[in-house]
Amino acid sequence: MDTDRLNLLQGTLDVLVLQALANGPLHGYAVSRFVRDRTRGTLQIEDAPLYKALHRLEHAGCVAAEWGVSENNRRARYYRLTTAGRRRLRRDAHAWRRYATAVASVLGPK
Amino acid sequence: MRRIFQFLRRSPSRIREDVDTEVRFHLDARADELIRAGLTETQAWAQARREFGDLDDARRYMRQIDRRTERSTRRRNLMWDVRHDVQYALRRLAASPGFAAASILTLALGIGANTAIFSIVHAVVLRPLPFPDPDRLYAVYSANRTADLLQASVSPVDLDDWRAQRRQIEDLGGYLYGEGSTGIDLTERGQPRRLDVVFFTPGFLTTLGIAPAAGRLPREDELVRGGHDRIVMLTHSFWLREFGASPAIVGASLTLGNAPYEVVGVLPADLRFPAERADVFIPYSTIPDSGIPRLRQVRVLTVVARARAGVSQAAVNTEMDTIARRLAEQYQVNRAWDATTVVPLHEVVTGAVRLPLLVLLGAVGFVVLMACVNLAGLQLARAVGRGREMGVRLALGARRGRLVRQLLTESLVLAVCGGIVGLALAAVITSALLALAGDQLPRASEVRLDGPVIAFSLLLSIVTGVLFGLVPAWRSSSLRVQEMLREGGRGTVTADSSRLRAGLIVAEVALAVILVVGAALMGRSFLALMDVDSGFKPEGLIAVQFTINPAKYAPPPGAAGPGPQRPPGPAPYTRFYREVIDKVRTLPGVVSAAAVKDPPFRGNGERNGFGIPGKPVPAGQDPPTATVIHISDGYFKTIGARMIDGREFTPDDRFDTPFVVVVNEAFARQYFPGTKAVGQRLLRGPTNAIEIVGVVNDIRQVAVAEPARPTMYVNNLQNSRIKTTIVARTQGDPAAMAGAIRDAIWSLDREQPITAIFTFDDSISRALARPRLVTVLLLSFGAIGLLLGVVGIYGILAFLVQQRQPEIGVRIALGARPSHVSAMFMRRGLTLTAAGIGIGLIGAFLLRRFLVAVLYGVGPTDPATFAGVAVTLLLAAAAASWIPARRAARVDPVVTLRTQ
Repeated sequence: MDTDRLNLLQGTLDVLVLQALANGPLHGYAVSRFVRDRTRGTLQIEDAPLYKALHRLEHAGCVAAEWGVSENNRRARYYRLTTAGRRRLRRDAHAWRRYATAVASVLGPK
Repeated sequence: MRRIFQFLRRSPSRIREDVDTEVRFHLDARADELIRAGLTETQAWAQARREFGDLDDARRYMRQIDRRTERSTRRRNLMWDVRHDVQYALRRLAASPGFAAASILTLALGIGANTAIFSIVHAVVLRPLPFPDPDRLYAVYSANRTADLLQASVSPVDLDDWRAQRRQIEDLGGYLYGEGSTGIDLTERGQPRRLDVVFFTPGFLTTLGIAPAAGRLPREDELVRGGHDRIVMLTHSFWLREFGASPAIVGASLTLGNAPYEVVGVLPADLRFPAERADVFIPYSTIPDSGIPRLRQVRVLTVVARARAGVSQAAVNTEMDTIARRLAEQYQVNRAWDATTVVPLHEVVTGAVRLPLLVLLGAVGFVVLMACVNLAGLQLARAVGRGREMGVRLALGARRGRLVRQLLTESLVLAVCGGIVGLALAAVITSALLALAGDQLPRASEVRLDGPVIAFSLLLSIVTGVLFGLVPAWRSSSLRVQEMLREGGRGTVTADSSRLRAGLIVAEVALAVILVVGAALMGRSFLALMDVDSGFKPEGLIAVQFTINPAKYAPPPGAAGPGPQRPPGPAPYTRFYREVIDKVRTLPGVVSAAAVKDPPFRGNGERNGFGIPGKPVPAGQDPPTATVIHISDGYFKTIGARMIDGREFTPDDRFDTPFVVVVNEAFARQYFPGTKAVGQRLLRGPTNAIEIVGVVNDIRQVAVAEPARPTMYVNNLQNSRIKTTIVARTQGDPAAMAGAIRDAIWSLDREQPITAIFTFDDSISRALARPRLVTVLLLSFGAIGLLLGVVGIYGILAFLVQQRQPEIGVRIALGARPSHVSAMFMRRGLTLTAAGIGIGLIGAFLLRRFLVAVLYGVGPTDPATFAGVAVTLLLAAAAASWIPARRAARVDPVVTLRTQ
C-alpha cells in the first residue's frame, strides 16, 4: 500500500460520512462521490467501508434511512442526519480539527 | 411525545433484498459514470467493483447490522406503546376515581387475603425445613401390625441396634420431648425454675445437620451411659433470655436436677424442631432407669433418619423393616414389632395443619376469583359505555389487537395498583392471623413477606388483571364499527353481551355458594366442638403443675431401689405428695382438691398392657393396652366428673391396702360388654390382680374433638409418678387462688420448682385455637363472598336497567304496568341466581373431600346447611335485584323518549 495514502480509522470515516450528509439527504453513491471529490484522491477510500459506516450509523441512530427515487429515476436508499447525528458531527469535527492543528503545529511550516 | 418515524417492519428476507438493491444501485451508478468518462462497459464494471472493495463482506455486514437495527426499533416501538398505554390508562382511571377506587379496593382485598394466607402456607407447608438437604430427612416409627400400632415411638435399645446395622441411612437419632412434661429443675440461679427439656440420643443433632451458634456439638462419647454425659446444649432463645447471648457461658456449669451440667454449646436460632419453646437439650442417657427403664418394650423416642444421597424413601423403609424384622426374630419382646413406618420429616412437622391451611388457601382463591368476576362486570359496563370511542378508533384505522392491548393494559394497571395495596393489607392480615393462631401453628416464626411471597402476589395481580380484563377486551374486539357508531355510543345490548353478563352473575353466585357453604359448615362444626361434653366441669378449676425431685426424698442407702413394675414399698416421695394435697384442701376458698399426673388436654397419659383373668392372650399376640392416668383420691369429685358405678379412690386407698383401679365407660364397654365391670379383676404386671372398684364417665383427655379411649385410672399412692398437677375447685375466680396454692407448696418445700399454672378454661381455649382460626377465616371469606356476590348482582342488573331505559320507556308508554317491568328484572336476576346456586351446590359437593379434614360433628354435605345456604343466597340476590328492578319501574317514559 502507498505510504502517503492514509489508512483510515473507522471514526474518521464516520465523521466524513456525517459531514457528507450535513447539507441534506443523499444516497450512498452520492456520499461516496462527495468524499472522493472533497479529498481529491488523497484518501483512497473503498466503497464497502463507507456503506458499512452508513448502516452502522443508522443502527446508532445518527442517520435515518428512507427509500426514495434517484435523479435517474431508480429506487435508492436516502440517508439523512438525525438530531443525534448532527450533535455527533459537531463533536467529532471539533475533535478532529483540534487534532489536526496540534499535529500541524508540531510539524511546523513546510 | 410524538413518534418521529413510523418504521415499517422489515423481515430478514426484506432486509436482504434491500441491501442487494442498495449495492446494485451504487455499482450501476458508478459504472454509468465511468462509461460516460469513456470506459467500455466491461472496464467500467470491473473498476466499479474494484473501487467498492469486498462486496460479499460488506453485504453480510450490512444485513447483520440492519437486522439488529430492526430488532431494537421494534423493541423501542413496543416500549413506546406500553408507556403510552399505561399513561392513557392512568389518565382514564384518574378521570373516574370512583370506579378506580372500587376496583382497587376489591382487588386489594382479594390479593391481600390471598397473599396473607399464602405467606403462612409458604412458611409452614411449602418451604423446606431449615436443615441441610431437608428432603433426605425422615421420621421413623416402630410398627406393630397385629396391634395396629403403625406409628409408635421407638425404644432406645432398638435405636442403638438400628444405628449399628444401618447401611443406606447416613445417620439416625431420637429425642424425647413433651411440652410441659419433659423438664428439669434449674437451681442455684435465682428462683428455682423448671426448664423445658429435649432429651436426645447420639446421632440426633448430626442427623439434622445442626451447626452450633456457639460452642460445639457434643461428642458421641458424651451421649452414652457411663460417658461424661452431664452436658447441656442451650437453645438460642434460652441463651438470649438467660445469659444475654454471652459466649462466655460455653464451658460454664449449670445446676440441673441437683447435678452439675457443663454447657458445651448453643443451638442455632432457627431451630424449631422438635420443640418450639424448649430451653435446653440434654443427653437422653442422663435419664436413670428409675425414671424411664432402658428396656426394649419401653418405646419412648421419636426417631429421625437421614438417608444417604440418592436413597429413596422406599429404600429407607425397606432397610428399616429388615432391621426391625431381624430384631423381632432375635428378641421375644419384639416379636410383634417386626416393621417400621417411614414418613418424610416435613410431613410430620406440618402434618396437623397441612390440610386446614390448604383448605383456607383454596377458599381464599375463590375470594379472588369472585373479585375478578366483579371487576369483569364493572369493566364490561365501562367498555359498553365506551362503545363510541372504540368505534371511532376502529373507524380511524386502529388495529383491533392494539385496542385489546390497550384495554388489557388498563386492567393490568388496576391490578398492579390493587396488588400493591393488597401487599400492604397482607402484612396487616398476616400479623393478625399469627396472633389469632396463638401457639397452634408450627413454624409460625418463619412466616414473613419475603421474595417468594411478593412474587406470588405480583403474579396473582397479573393473573387477575388478565382474567378480569380479558372479558371486556375480547368483547370490544368483536364489535362491529357501524353498529357502535349507529347506537350513538350507548353501546349495544346484543344477545352476545347479555349472555356474557348472565354468565358473570351465574359464576358469581356459584362462587359465593361454595364459599358460604364452607363457612357455614365450619361454623356449625365449631359450634359442635364447643358443645362437646368433655366429661368434666372446667369452670372454677385451677391447676398447679410441678415435678417432685425423687432424689430429695430418697430412702437411706441400702433400701431396695424402686423397680418399674412394683416397688417393694411406697415411693418415699409420696409423703410429700400426700402433704401437698392435704395442705391445699385446707386453704380457704378451695372447695375440693386432688392430684393427677396428666390433666385433660395437657397430656395423653401412659399406655400400658394389661390382662383379664380367665381370658388368656392368644400366643403371638400382645396383650390389650389401655390409657393409664395416675390420680389421687377425690379427683373425679374435684373436676366434676360423674361416677357411673362403684366408688372413686378415697384416702383409705393406700400402698398398704389392696390395689384397686377405676375404669372409664369406654373401657367397661369394650372389655366387659353386657356385664358389670365393678368387682371384675385386671392383671397389671404378671401376677397382681387388681379389682375394679368404680366406673367413671368418659373424660376427654387428648383433645376436645377426640372421644375418650378406654382408660384405667390408678391410684398414685399405689403406682407413683413424680409429675404432679394439683387440681382445685375454687369459689370465685380460680386464677386468684393460684398464688395461695403455690405458697402452700412452697411452705412444705421452699425449693420445689413450679412448672405451670393454668385454668382449664385456658386449656380448652388453647385446644380450640386451631379450629377457631380456621372457622374465623372461613366465616370471613364467606362473608366477603356473600358481599361481593350481592354487590356484583346489583351492579350488573343496575347497569342492565340503565342500558334498557329507552326500551322500558317505550313499554311503559305502550301501557305496560310498572310492576310488570320490575317483575321482569326480578325474574331475570333470580333465574340467574338459581342457576348459580345449582352450580355452586354441585361445586361444594365435589369439594367435600377437602372439607372433611377440618370438620367435626357435621358432614361435608350436610343437607340442612346446603338448603340454608341456597335460601340465604336467594334472599340476598332478591334484595340485590330489587333495587334496580324498582328503578326500572320508575322510568319516566316522557323523559326517556324525549332524549332519544
